[in-house]
Amino acid sequence: MLGVIIGITSVILIYSIGQGAVAFITNELSSFGTDYFQINPGSNQMSAIAGSNALSMEDYETLKGDTSITNIKEVSPFSMGSVNIDGNDVEDDALAYGVAQNAIDILRPDITYGEFITDEQDLNSEHVVVLGEEVAKKFFGEETSPVEESLNINNRTYRVVGVVSSSSVLAGGFLNNAIFLPISVLQDQITGEEALQEIDISVHDPEIINQTIEDVKTLLREEHQLKEDDEDDFRIQSAKDMLETTKTITSLLTAMVAAISGISLVVGGVGVMNIMLVSVTERTREIGLLKAIGAKERDILTQFLFESIVMTFIGGLTGIVLGISGAFLVSVVLHIPFIVSIPAVLLAVGVSAAVGILFGIYPARRAARLSPIDALQYQ
Amino acid sequence: MANREPLIQLENVKKCFPLADGEFYEALHGISLEIYEGEFVAIMGPSGSGKSTTMHILGALDVPSSGHYKLRGKDISLYTNDQLAEVRNREIGFVFQSFNLLPRITVLDNVERPMMYAGIKPTERTRRAMEALERVEIADKAENISNHISGGQIQRVAIARAIVMNPAIILADEPTGNLDTKMSEEIVALFTSLNKAGRTIVLITHEPDIAAHAKRIIRIVDGNIVSDAIHKK
Repeated sequence: MLGVIIGITSVILIYSIGQGAVAFITNELSSFGTDYFQINPGSNQMSAIAGSNALSMEDYETLKGDTSITNIKEVSPFSMGSVNIDGNDVEDDALAYGVAQNAIDILRPDITYGEFITDEQDLNSEHVVVLGEEVAKKFFGEETSPVEESLNINNRTYRVVGVVSSSSVLAGGFLNNAIFLPISVLQDQITGEEALQEIDISVHDPEIINQTIEDVKTLLREEHQLKEDDEDDFRIQSAKDMLETTKTITSLLTAMVAAISGISLVVGGVGVMNIMLVSVTERTREIGLLKAIGAKERDILTQFLFESIVMTFIGGLTGIVLGISGAFLVSVVLHIPFIVSIPAVLLAVGVSAAVGILFGIYPARRAARLSPIDALQYQ
Repeated sequence: MANREPLIQLENVKKCFPLADGEFYEALHGISLEIYEGEFVAIMGPSGSGKSTTMHILGALDVPSSGHYKLRGKDISLYTNDQLAEVRNREIGFVFQSFNLLPRITVLDNVERPMMYAGIKPTERTRRAMEALERVEIADKAENISNHISGGQIQRVAIARAIVMNPAIILADEPTGNLDTKMSEEIVALFTSLNKAGRTIVLITHEPDIAAHAKRIIRIVDGNIVSDAIHKK
């Protein structure tokens, strides 16, 4: 029965954790919204990390000025660089993002103090900075508004105009620990180049976002003078894509664990069969007596099959309780939603009963076919 | 008796068993006997005489290799396993020497079991089981687990189970073999009482003083009936 318990526990556990993880990520991605997609330079992750310069302010201007792709709502450029910050007797390095005002529609941060970067500040290349919450705490302490205070960033003085934060794990991870400058200032003062690390595009209608992505791809390929056989020198990914990828990975992992659990269930089933065979041997005289008082072969078969099913059913129920309890503990520790899938539970119940039938049938048939005389005389 | 149909008829019954070398061993050499309703018959014989084989055939646990076995006029010699099981359920009440009751369940559940296989409804089962337990004077032990009663009490419960379906015969195989003298006398007295009430009893025994309580003694030696006589007490 232990094999059945382990098998069912692991299926319930991994399914619940998987569903919880998908729900968590869906929730996180929805904090960004599914009405946007991002363009990154390089045909793959490695070339992006290697600092591909395939995206530039020209691309941004092209997309911003295009009127043919009517589903485009906003185009927001992102540039980034590492900076040294020094102020209030604290010094540290941080990641600085160069952004336009409309980045606020993509990032959707909570404005704790002040305001976000404005187009006017960008146009005038003002030395202003918006701090992520953790950066603000580090330099100015908690519960203190640093607006109008000054910081030295790469040995130049910047005025703090706002503090932003995000409660989302995904967004907060980078947002709370970064700083934001007008993109013109970052490119001019920090990176010294017009290469962009990202262009985010929001759309009016998320339902046709895939078509919009295709249209943008065509436009950029034209802009980059890529031939038909050339690979894209950029990558486009939507939040929807990320969610689908997450779901695919989770499904694969779940299927893999289910397969491993299946092995455990088979082992458990063999154990049940062995127990039942021993039981048939030990109860041979009992079977003889049952036949003597009128039990037919099917009565004996039914009785032993029922016992086998009850055994695996109890194992299955125990596995379900342990699986659900384990999933609850994991959800508390990992801060992901606790989800119990009723279809998974019902499937577990069905599988444990099926194991009982499958592995109980042979011992049950052996019991049913015993000769009553041989069984009565068994020592 | 001459005008009545016999309850049990064995007509030239032979029984052969296959041996390892491909030959056959003939345990019964064509025995014939008739038992009428209300009789109390003891079948005696030494070990290897064929009395157990005769009991197996009478109890529909086995079928003759040749010859006929008629029970209430029906030839059951060629019955299938399921048909024999039905015969055992409805027409035969077994009392064995040992291992008479199913362990881990109550006395009442044991007596109800044959009725369960016959498809009798639960309330009717309980009523008839309690009646049978009262008949053998052990109704107060109905809720006891069967492993928790004495040897003599076990035999009483086995008798209650044997009569609960109103079978054609009560077939008792060495029922006092594991009991002391006092308990043996009680059990035999119970059989006598049941017989007086009209039950047909066939007792297999090797003990002459137990067989002496029967009204008719059949002796089997080496697969043949050597004597079949009314016993004068």
